[in-house]
Amino acid sequence: MPYNIAMVSDFFFPQPGGIESHIYQLSTKLIDQGHKVIVITHAYEGRTGVRYLTNGLKVYHVPFLVMFRSATFPTVFSFFPIFRNIVLREAIEIVHGHGTMSSFTHEAILHARTMGLRAVFTDHSLFGFADAGSILTNKLLKFTLSDVDHVICVSHTCKENTVLRASLDPLMVSVIPNAVVAENFRPLSHPGYTADGTAQASGQHNPIPQQVLGPNDTITIVVISRLFYNKGTDLLIAAIPRIIALHPNVRFIIAGSGPKAIDLEQMLERNVLQDRVEMLGPVRHEEVRDVMVRGHIYLHPSLTEAFGTVIVEAASCGLYVVCTQVGGIPEVLPAHMTVFAKPEEDDLVAATGKAIAALRANKVRTEKFHDQVKMMYSWYDVAQRTERVYDGISGALSEADFYGFDAANASSWSASRGRAGVQSFALIDRLKRYYGCGIWAGKLFCLCVVIDYLLFILLEFVAPRENIDIARNWPKKMVNGEKNGEKNGRERSREMRRDTT
Amino acid sequence: MVPIKAPQPTASTHAHPFGTLKRSSTLPVPQRPDVPHRHLLAPEDAIYQESPPRKQSAAVTRLQKDLRMTTETSTAPDSKAARNRGRSRPKSQNRSTSRRSRATWKKLLWVKQSYPDNYTDQDTFLEHLQRNPRLQPYDFWPLVADSTVIVQHVCSVIIFVVCFVGIFQERVEPVAVVSWGSIATVAGWVVWDRWVGQETATPSRIPIPPKLTSENSKDKLDASAASSMSNLTAVLKENGNMGNTLAVTSGRQSHSASVTSIQSTTSQVNTGTNSPISQPLFKADPHALSPRSALRLSTAKSALLIYFTLLGLSPILKSLTRSTSSDSIWAMSFLLFTINIFFFDYGSLAPPTFSSSSATKNKNIPASLSTNAALMASTVLASRLPSTGQVFSLTLFSIEVFGLFPVFRRYAKQRSWRGHVLLTAILVIGAGGGVGLTLGEGMWPWKSGLLGVLIGALVSGLAMGGCSWWLIGLQKYKNEIHGPWDPARPIIRRQWDDY
Repeated sequence: MPYNIAMVSDFFFPQPGGIESHIYQLSTKLIDQGHKVIVITHAYEGRTGVRYLTNGLKVYHVPFLVMFRSATFPTVFSFFPIFRNIVLREAIEIVHGHGTMSSFTHEAILHARTMGLRAVFTDHSLFGFADAGSILTNKLLKFTLSDVDHVICVSHTCKENTVLRASLDPLMVSVIPNAVVAENFRPLSHPGYTADGTAQASGQHNPIPQQVLGPNDTITIVVISRLFYNKGTDLLIAAIPRIIALHPNVRFIIAGSGPKAIDLEQMLERNVLQDRVEMLGPVRHEEVRDVMVRGHIYLHPSLTEAFGTVIVEAASCGLYVVCTQVGGIPEVLPAHMTVFAKPEEDDLVAATGKAIAALRANKVRTEKFHDQVKMMYSWYDVAQRTERVYDGISGALSEADFYGFDAANASSWSASRGRAGVQSFALIDRLKRYYGCGIWAGKLFCLCVVIDYLLFILLEFVAPRENIDIARNWPKKMVNGEKNGEKNGRERSREMRRDTT
Repeated sequence: MVPIKAPQPTASTHAHPFGTLKRSSTLPVPQRPDVPHRHLLAPEDAIYQESPPRKQSAAVTRLQKDLRMTTETSTAPDSKAARNRGRSRPKSQNRSTSRRSRATWKKLLWVKQSYPDNYTDQDTFLEHLQRNPRLQPYDFWPLVADSTVIVQHVCSVIIFVVCFVGIFQERVEPVAVVSWGSIATVAGWVVWDRWVGQETATPSRIPIPPKLTSENSKDKLDASAASSMSNLTAVLKENGNMGNTLAVTSGRQSHSASVTSIQSTTSQVNTGTNSPISQPLFKADPHALSPRSALRLSTAKSALLIYFTLLGLSPILKSLTRSTSSDSIWAMSFLLFTINIFFFDYGSLAPPTFSSSSATKNKNIPASLSTNAALMASTVLASRLPSTGQVFSLTLFSIEVFGLFPVFRRYAKQRSWRGHVLLTAILVIGAGGGVGLTLGEGMWPWKSGLLGVLIGALVSGLAMGGCSWWLIGLQKYKNEIHGPWDPARPIIRRQWDDY
């Protein structure tokens, strides 16, 4: 059954990034599945108002004060009026927030639950527990996720982290990985595609001949990463001279910018490596593939990573991947595509040496990687799995099917703690969940929720639902007969909801 | 952060026979004893073990319904319908078939697994979680013993303040204060010089750098004494730290090499900081003056230089804050002394044992902050005094108390524990008595002084014991969580010629 879904995040296009493209790809595929999806984000410079993207994806750019790294200023309630207006206008049923650092997400989930909507949260990043910033963020996350229907994490490590950070029931956290658009990350020459990059009509293509690498051919190692401390640039700086000294026919291509770029350049100058290390500076996401296909090995020295989409992209381009074994990275790619290293300089050098030796011995069939990655990760699959989550929380899938068999017959505990049940929109149940957040925090959170609820009632009084127009849907490409009936059904359910409130 | 709200399936709950804790703790219906682990088998599998269910028979459905009826009677037909609807979905089809051929769940994202996305594997979930990995439980008495360092410092600050009040109220002769202080300093220096002598005589594994460097810093003191007081002691501290870090760098070499290298580095520091005149003398003609005598000579020289510089500076210091009101000065000096106490480098030991030196190396607050604060406080306090002699006395005394005394205290603690305890006792008595004498304005100064000593001893004893006990009590709240989500610490072998 189709749902009306609102994706909410501070991070969306035109800003480039992982969360941004995740939201876009997921929304597009969900629209293809027949759902209605809108995106709510804050206004970027030169990008305000309502926009339509490809496929009829409607984007609301809400004017809001941007505080730091395009995250909005965390006001608990000020987003509510316009959020309510958008949600009613679009007849939203499920609110899906993305990103821990986005205060829009947190506010939207809180307000959505106040308004009696289903809320889903997707976590894209890992957080520690030690420093003050993490403690604050974790408390905020705990507040928001105290009352959420389901949480999606991008890797199992991310799930463990989120479960610990927000004290969640592990069963209400799903692991749905990111994906890549395989067509955008195809190898340099691949028989599956024509010369201009479009996929050939016939799905099957001839087996690809193995590229044979001579013993003296130059091996190019590609690094594409923002040059930050947590991306392991220090490791890279330490390892590059040693790798180049050990292996004569090896070149580096480094793309990306950041505060560590200057250290990298200093290292190059000190060791006089300018002819063997090419620094490209920042590259756009569309150009990443063109850089990747110039190399044989992708080196990823990151220190923390929830999923690591870039290594999937590299493997899809037919690169052998050398990466540090941190965070969710070990789960992402099979062993024959990767060489893992500990986050240590010596081990990284050794692992790169191993990868070079394996390539020189022609033991790695990198030309097969693209098709294999294409089988592993696709946005279509992600959208289907996300759809199952929507089914589960909205009751289309029975609790037994969704949460496992014996979880279904325990109706007693779902009300006040753990996952949100069907009956749990009652304010007192929500307050019970928030109260458990901490001695002081619990009371504070309860206060916020009560105020939020009063605000909701006030808004119903000041700006009644009847006065808000319902937006017309974007005409779908495929016309099917049941669409009208479906819409009527939705109308009917809205009528009923109006009666109950 | 303690996860409070929901019981967590940490390592301790893994062995629990019935799934996670919350199931057994919150379910009112008694669990059927023959229903196994919920993630491994479904209820119907347990009952019809001889014939694993191909398709759900009517009996199974009825049984399921019965099971369901025990808790939620009303929703049973609904959920059954929902189940049938769900059965038609390809995903759940996969799941039910997977019950027959149990492919083990893997913590991988690239395999298509026949488990639902929210499946939580009880065996591997949070298996890499570490709690309090670096916890070392404290013992009471060692903790009390360690807290003496803090008591010593607080007491020396109190003694200084008491001396100031005495001078300010003209109850104490400033010359007496500074003479006693100087006598004590000289005595301490003699003792310390003997210790250094013993150490160089016995081929000890712990070499001498800090002493030498502190000597050197005195050299620096005299070199730039004219500029400013606070900077000097900063240099003093920096020098001590430099000795430590140098020791760390050489610690990577083999051990026999490390001793010599440390000595070589210290000699480098020596030659670097010594005046260029004394250096060739020291190198060229070793028979004329032994290194230690040269050191003594330079120490005496620097002491004299400080003495005369202060003497020259005192008139300037006296009028330094004339335009500022006294209240601001009291508040400011209180603040500065607080900074001094809180940022004092209690941890680092005098000789750089390798474990402690690594601790001092990655410290982010410089030790010079504390000394600078104290010297500034004493300078502004001294500027309140009316006569040049008083200003001079107080400033010299403050250099002795805040610049030189901590070096001696550290060393004394290292050398003899008994001496350390004795010193602590003397300081506590001195501080308590001083406060008592200052506050007691009656005709029985000795009585109030004695009372002050008693109260001081009592308070410091209670504080030491109480705080230690409190800290131990607080340990049970320690819950440090580490896991694969923490950013890795890169291990980089950095060549020194690189940087």
